Amino acid sequence: MSANSPETGPEYVSKVDRRSALAWIGVVGAAVAGGAGVVVYGPQMGGQKVTRGYGTDPKLVKPEKAPWSRIMIPAQLQTAAILADFILPASGAAPSASALGVPDFVDEWVSAPYPDQLKDRPIVLTGLNTLAPKVLKTSAADRAKALDALRHSTDPATQKFWKRFRRLTIGAYYTTPEGFKDVGYIGNVPRGSDPGPSPEVKSAVEAQLKTLNL
Amino acid sequence: MATDTYDAIIVGSGAGGGMSAYHLTKSGLKVLMLEAGRNYDPRVETPMFNTNAEAPLRGASTPDKPFGFYDATVDGGWQVPNEPYTVAEGSEPFTWWRPRMLGGRTNHWGRIALRFGPLDFKPKSRDGLGYDWPITYDDMAPWYDKTEKLIGVSGAAPARGLLNTPDSPPGCLMESAPPRAFEMFYERGFKAMGIPVIPMHGAVVTGQMEGRNTCLFATPCGRGCAIGANFQSTTVLIPPAMATGNLTLRTDALVYQIDLDKAGRAKGVSFVDRKTGEHHSVAAKSVILAAGSGETARILLNSKSASFPDGLCNTHGMVGRYLMDTVGLGVTGQFPALEGLPPTNDDGQGTEHTYVPWWGYEKQKELGFPRGYHIEIGGGRRMPSMGMGGLLHDDDLSVGDDLRANLRQKFGSTIGFNGRGEMIPNDDCYCELDPTAKDKWGIPVLRFHWKWGDSETSQAAHMVKTFLEVIDKLGGTPQGKIETDGKKAISKGGEMIHEIGTARMGHNDADSVVNQYGQSWAVPNLFVMDGAVMVSSPDKNPTLSILALAWRSADNLVTLSKQGAL
Repeated sequence: MSANSPETGPEYVSKVDRRSALAWIGVVGAAVAGGAGVVVYGPQMGGQKVTRGYGTDPKLVKPEKAPWSRIMIPAQLQTAAILADFILPASGAAPSASALGVPDFVDEWVSAPYPDQLKDRPIVLTGLNTLAPKVLKTSAADRAKALDALRHSTDPATQKFWKRFRRLTIGAYYTTPEGFKDVGYIGNVPRGSDPGPSPEVKSAVEAQLKTLNL
Repeated sequence: MATDTYDAIIVGSGAGGGMSAYHLTKSGLKVLMLEAGRNYDPRVETPMFNTNAEAPLRGASTPDKPFGFYDATVDGGWQVPNEPYTVAEGSEPFTWWRPRMLGGRTNHWGRIALRFGPLDFKPKSRDGLGYDWPITYDDMAPWYDKTEKLIGVSGAAPARGLLNTPDSPPGCLMESAPPRAFEMFYERGFKAMGIPVIPMHGAVVTGQMEGRNTCLFATPCGRGCAIGANFQSTTVLIPPAMATGNLTLRTDALVYQIDLDKAGRAKGVSFVDRKTGEHHSVAAKSVILAAGSGETARILLNSKSASFPDGLCNTHGMVGRYLMDTVGLGVTGQFPALEGLPPTNDDGQGTEHTYVPWWGYEKQKELGFPRGYHIEIGGGRRMPSMGMGGLLHDDDLSVGDDLRANLRQKFGSTIGFNGRGEMIPNDDCYCELDPTAKDKWGIPVLRFHWKWGDSETSQAAHMVKTFLEVIDKLGGTPQGKIETDGKKAISKGGEMIHEIGTARMGHNDADSVVNQYGQSWAVPNLFVMDGAVMVSSPDKNPTLSILALAWRSADNLVTLSKQGAL
């Protein structure tokens, strides 16, 4: 494919398992599972939107899926996938952001009925809408140019979108086991005792303290 | 519920209620415990090893769960559905954290278990400010010993003899887990400033303890503990009390009134069932309020009669007065020296492993503020949250491998320094009944009044100065906007969730609501066994003292019961 020919790339497929998708149908009453693991969200189907939060006593050990309807339309979801993978593409053993379902998470986030998320909603959706024509069905070169322009934009609204979306992508990515591995978090495992830092870590800290004259 | 067989009704199931139930039932008394919230079982409800990715919004804070999705708070937080409170016009901000669950706030508390020291019980004698307690440290010491041995506290260390920072006698504490890399690191910065760093006292079982599981050194205590390795009323106090066969528990019972008989003695309490809205009255030979300082004051103020037109025990207007909290604020630093360390497991024992006790007792005059603070310090490579992007500078534009490398480099390189300081009670901080606002069931709610004093705001400014100095010594950079004006930097009233002192103890009914055993002056079979009885608010977190005081008071109640005085 030449650099100037339209390139849609692989479609982002929601990382929602069928059980969750069916559960959402139960909750939302409007979503339809369209094929293996692909979910078309409530508003698309003209169903009744659910806008309630998870309440003050949600189940914690086996959390239920967030009850609110997802509001992102396919073009926004596809754009989110492209942008998330621009921020964190696959690298070696580390998967890409879209492979970890980051676009679905962004959808969950901007659809949520809470103040912080409602504040993010217009920033993210407007940003995605603005970006969509520049990255969907465009050449790879045009897409790369648009993403780079977004990253270096000095326009306050564009900058705000970039920073916010990037923060959401980083948060969503590194809260997963794959993200733990990538960043070097090795905890959340039961231990019989806490031996403290290894000799290697201790000597690294001591070396640093020495340079600080401490 | 049989209505005439109880020796005591306990209102509340947190630190004070749990401990008094534990001792009374173990002593053979028949007890009815009334808890406003729902039943709660940490063994099956604690999300011990859940990742944030399993939670809605990756576990981020929301108004439904203000401390994050997994926080062990049910039906509450800064607001409780259907149960409002108000803040008086012209008051400084005040905020009130309440859960509605068995065990109350002991399910999510910070597990920091520091003893008050000798000076803390006699602050007025020392510097003329505030008020003295009617008891001394020596009166409390044996109860601290017993409490530490019962609940399981780490922090054992050779006796240091630091002023007003009690060393527990041998056998009371278990050893803390060793300092983590960031704790080794900051210790050296404080040392260069002449400031001590010592093991934290944490209510976590870090070694072998009969009848208890040892910590797994993995998950945050704020979620609660399914194996009961830290202290929660619901794992350590209520189960053994139930096992005696002497405890009857009723949840969803929102107590609003103490009922008196014709002789002016407490005959029981009235409550509304939160689920059905039905009102009930239950009887007992004695009543113990342990609903939390705010709710305890509210029940007393709502218990009006011809003898007590302004509320029970309030003839001298003392109920609701001398409300206190802890002074709090934090500054975070980022430290290049901690960047790129080899991977290390910093999950630790839940509480900090070390901390800074107040070091300035003998320098208060030159410091320009009368009371001190300790420093709680968090850091390390903890489980990533939605705040992960905050590790990077605001101008960082990196993507791809550069971004991955930047995050790996910065992960675990920040340290948060949090001051927790003493507040001196003042006439501007109190709660009363709101003249018009009511809860869902028509019961008048509390209205708070708050104003920090200069002693507190000066102390807050000193905290910021200290944190900036240690960050600088360690080659770090403070993060975010730094507010050096103590008046602006200081926490909101109530924000440290240490509200205490609305029914304080004292020598007589003109200066206090209860005696040194929590027994009310006005009604001899009515007791208060929560933080409401506290006379001062030292920098040390109050829970251990609430537990020890409740045990001491409950023991006195048992004696009175045996004497037939109830």
